[in-house]
Amino acid sequence: MTSLKRSLGSDPLSSSISSKVFVRSTKSGKVQKIVRELYLRQDIPCSSKLCTACLATAPRDAAGVLAPFVLSAKPAGTKAYPNGHYLLPDTNALLNALDLFESTSAFYDVIILQTVLEELRNRSLPLYNRLIGLTKSAEKRFYVFFNEFRLETYVHREQGETINDRNDRAVRRAGKWYDEHLSQAVKAAGGNKKSVPTVVMLSDDKENLKKAKRDGVAACGLKDYVSMLENAEQLLDMIAVVKEGREIRDARAQESLYAEYYSVSKMMTGVKNGTLHQGIFNVSPYNYLEGSINVPAFDKNLLVLGRESINRAVQGDVVVVEVLPKDQWKEPSTKIIEEEALNKNENADAEDGEAVVTERERKALQEEVKKVHSKSSEGRPQPTARVVGVVKRNWRQYVGHVDESSVSQSVKESRKQQTVFLIPMDKRIPKIRVRTRQAGEIIGKRVLVTIDSWDRDSRYPIGHFVRSLGELETKGAETEALLLEYDVQYRPFPKAVLDCLPTEGHDWKVPVSTDDPGWKDRRDLRGLQICSIDPIGCQDIDDALHARPLPNGNFEVGVHIADVSHFVKPNNAMDAEASIRGTTVYLVDKRIDMLPMLLGTDLCSLKPYVERYAFSAIWEITPDAEIVKSDFTKSVIKSREAFSYEQAQIRVDDASQQDELTTAMRTLLILSKKFKQKRMDAGALSLSSPEVRVETESETSDPIDIKTKKHLDTMSLVEEFMLLANTSVAAKIYSAFPQTAMLRRHGAPPKTNFEELANQLKVKKGLELRTSSSKELADSLDACVDPQEPFFNTLVRIMATRCMMSAEYFCSGTQAYPEFRHYGLASEIYTHFTSPIRRYADLVAHRQLAAAIDYEPLDASVRSKGKLESVCKNINVRHRNAQQAGRASIEYYVGQALKGRIVEEEGFVMKVFSNGFVVFVPRFGIESLIRLRDLAETEPESTFDAEDYVLRTSGSREVEVELFEKVVVRISDIKEEGTGKRKVRLELVKTGGK
Amino acid sequence: MPLDTSTYSLALLRLDGRRWNELRRLNAQISTQAAADGSSYLEMGNTKVICTVTGPAELKSTGGARAGGDKADVRVEISIAGFSGVDRKKRGRNDKRVSEMQTTISNAFAQSLFTNLYPHSSISLSLHILSQDGSLLAACLNACTLALIDAGVPMRDYICACTAGSTSSYSSNDEQADPLLDLNGIEEQELPFLTVGTLGNSDKVSVLVMETRVQVGRLEGMLAVGVDGCKQVREILDQVVRKRGVKILEGSQL
Ligand SMILES: [Zn+2]
Repeated sequence: MTSLKRSLGSDPLSSSISSKVFVRSTKSGKVQKIVRELYLRQDIPCSSKLCTACLATAPRDAAGVLAPFVLSAKPAGTKAYPNGHYLLPDTNALLNALDLFESTSAFYDVIILQTVLEELRNRSLPLYNRLIGLTKSAEKRFYVFFNEFRLETYVHREQGETINDRNDRAVRRAGKWYDEHLSQAVKAAGGNKKSVPTVVMLSDDKENLKKAKRDGVAACGLKDYVSMLENAEQLLDMIAVVKEGREIRDARAQESLYAEYYSVSKMMTGVKNGTLHQGIFNVSPYNYLEGSINVPAFDKNLLVLGRESINRAVQGDVVVVEVLPKDQWKEPSTKIIEEEALNKNENADAEDGEAVVTERERKALQEEVKKVHSKSSEGRPQPTARVVGVVKRNWRQYVGHVDESSVSQSVKESRKQQTVFLIPMDKRIPKIRVRTRQAGEIIGKRVLVTIDSWDRDSRYPIGHFVRSLGELETKGAETEALLLEYDVQYRPFPKAVLDCLPTEGHDWKVPVSTDDPGWKDRRDLRGLQICSIDPIGCQDIDDALHARPLPNGNFEVGVHIADVSHFVKPNNAMDAEASIRGTTVYLVDKRIDMLPMLLGTDLCSLKPYVERYAFSAIWEITPDAEIVKSDFTKSVIKSREAFSYEQAQIRVDDASQQDELTTAMRTLLILSKKFKQKRMDAGALSLSSPEVRVETESETSDPIDIKTKKHLDTMSLVEEFMLLANTSVAAKIYSAFPQTAMLRRHGAPPKTNFEELANQLKVKKGLELRTSSSKELADSLDACVDPQEPFFNTLVRIMATRCMMSAEYFCSGTQAYPEFRHYGLASEIYTHFTSPIRRYADLVAHRQLAAAIDYEPLDASVRSKGKLESVCKNINVRHRNAQQAGRASIEYYVGQALKGRIVEEEGFVMKVFSNGFVVFVPRFGIESLIRLRDLAETEPESTFDAEDYVLRTSGSREVEVELFEKVVVRISDIKEEGTGKRKVRLELVKTGGK
Repeated sequence: MPLDTSTYSLALLRLDGRRWNELRRLNAQISTQAAADGSSYLEMGNTKVICTVTGPAELKSTGGARAGGDKADVRVEISIAGFSGVDRKKRGRNDKRVSEMQTTISNAFAQSLFTNLYPHSSISLSLHILSQDGSLLAACLNACTLALIDAGVPMRDYICACTAGSTSSYSSNDEQADPLLDLNGIEEQELPFLTVGTLGNSDKVSVLVMETRVQVGRLEGMLAVGVDGCKQVREILDQVVRKRGVKILEGSQL
């Protein structure tokens, strides 16, 4: 008889095979038992340059390449570890202080254990990614040691041992092994005992440290270790205070201020069966105690009012909310509530008797409620909700400044650690409590902080200080602050990216011989009279145009776009960097490029007088602007001239100019007007946003003047043909790749978005805003005129723009065809094709178009739906951030330009609150709040008529302010205490008629 | 334990601690079921398969007319135990993937066996999958080879099979991707892979199945590693057979 033997026992290698059995539950609630094999080995190197034994057995990849050893042979020493030391952090050390490990002044030669890496990944993905980044940087010398796969360091979980205890034991075992291994290695090399580096385990866990001592592993608390370093004070601030803080609190057993979050499973079930709702938490820019969440179940946003309901949610977090009973539903606030005004002079150190809601806050909210209840039933209450849990924190690093009043005078000079408040630049983010020893030094500076935690027993989130950007209001600090705040990648391009550039550098030329492979399938369009029209001083010229009459009476029109995809090949380092940056960011004094300068402003840029590669779209168009046929081709062009909009306009208007270029521009202008008319007839919207231009002195880039942008015909000329090119290309790539075309859509705004504005127009002006289609909206916007006030129409357009959805990039396979529609342009399908130098989406469209015309095969990365979706997601965010950064930069410079000046200007009331109103000043494109208390020394009494949008004041000053009214304001500048920004300050001089 | 295959590049270690060119533990026994004409039990890592052979036997004429041709019919039947995977799942009789595997195996052995010696007869292979952890088709092929040897069916040479993959997925389009040998279940879910079977010690490929997408540039490397792996598998199977042979000669057992 034969029987099946247990094969494991008979295997001579069985000691090196382990298996892991664990149970996991899936999203759908199923329980799965997973069995995995684990092969333990002895050839995982220690990666110390001291060791030769490991070098002999170190692994090679399939190409036979050996990974270089990482840890230095002579690591830095400290007082306690004179022989030099390698660091071995445990998971908590990394969780609490990854910033420390990233600092350049210390923390070199670090061993990251696999155990720790995996634990970190389970706890925080962003931290994990940052750590992976560190292990890839050569100078920091971080080595990932796969201890779980090495026979000697593998630790079996014992009966009844928690996973954390097991992992801690694995870390100690690895430390011990390293220690022994290194002494052996040094001995083998004939070195003396003095040159064996110590392996120091870093931990914040007292129990773990104690056990390490018992096992004979060198170990040190994170804080103790940092205190031994030279710039200890700076570094100490970077350790998250979580742990320490909790210990103190435990001792005090303080009652909790906030309600406890629901358990994950409770939230999941609740969301599933519809009793709870999940969404992204947004804070009102006017009222820090009012948040809103858009959930699919309600067509109106859910309001979250007050600190208790907000329950520690921070702007951008993904939260789960519970809708409150109907009798607690409210209207959105009509009152401005600012944190700085209410909770000024709070002591950051004070913990005793801290209430969630301060007395002042309570009062402010109560007044609100009273008003709602007194209101007639005509009010439009919105559902309210409270936060019961946070699914995902969206915390990032925040730029802000220290609230000077929270720093106690006596310790300003001293090095004593104290708690201060940090006020983020973004008003929607609450104050952050930070413990620091450098309070004195960072006062008056722009600083970067992160939030570490927000416990139930703390009114404000707790964070730590990362670094200082420089003095407040210095150009450098403010620009960097702005870039950080909008997450713009502004570091110089790394070498790997620059290595992708053509080796010829600026000497690169279109090959002379048309037999060169670069000429393959390229049409020679060098003979055409092509020119470009751009803003003054534009260096990255994306597009150029030409037009010429055809013998049959039609016109041939060409749009030629820089052939960036020729230089940026998919999947190389440059492409990866560009896809992360997503877009070029334009600030008033600075441009942060998506592609290296060499390409953006030279080799790709369609500069005049030189030959350049281009991607051309060429149409035959009838004099009535009907397209007869269209054609796309790679080409070589030679632009004859680079005009500014102004130059082009002058030339077109000057009848004596009869050269070929000018007549071509006239042709284009006539055609563009016809195209525009057609678009308007189809219901395209002409919207408006306040646009101003800051003129700066060329040398110092100090602002001299602010100009509102003037609109020229030549601008819409270029715009129309770019729209034409974009729509034609969109249709072409969609027909070639129905599942994966890179497109751009603009959703129709939900009707509710316009309710407020429509009501305002009806009440104040007797005008009707129809919003059922874009055509209706466009027509009714045209009708919104006030014969006495030409600016009124623009004002309404600005306000209507804010009710719109934002346009977004998407991958065609993710939406149904009707959803492709671009609402604002009234176009069925649309993409971005015309600015590949400064937008990544255009580059993708170029690659897809090149494949669609069989110029080259389509790369896998632009063919995979999943990959494209993630690209779209990123560039949508980058695009929005770039716009906001640009606006913030203008705002900053407007403030600087007005510095020390006092001007009186006309403005318009855009929004009325019960205790203030917002005025828009078209001359400077600024918009600012005037509060009741700004009207007179003592705050005047007021009555607010919400139905009529009128605010009447009496007492110390008598005025009557109504919506849309023209007012005169005095503009001066002031340093805003809340955000540390220099901002314009408006004072009411007089109202409209009176 | 790493959660996915993305950490490979950090230390050139796979999810279960192997290097790129290492097989899993391969364990096999022959003549495990005395009642069958030939039988084997084979483990490739956690993939476990039992194979029994019945035949060559005379074909029973079912329709009355001519049954079978001048060659023996190789029939394969695979049954997958409900408890073999992570999720308990009952596969229907006409599961497409199973019938495709049956056809692949049957075609492969129809070529390597001297079926012409047994006209009007059939050789039935019955495979029972006890546990699945990747390289299922390869394990089945190897188990069949052993069982057929046990049954004494004359063959040209062993068919040995294994899987080969690539360390990064299709969409990541990584040019530096290493080829991989013998993928386990998790790797198969994330990475492109193929199953290759060769005849004996030669480079003659008798089975090649690939159902995932991969850049054509990586294919050659994968195939080379796979063919090399097949030779290693053959070494191991050969030892199993020889050990069995020695035992029979000693007469200690039969
Ligand atoms: Zn070593």
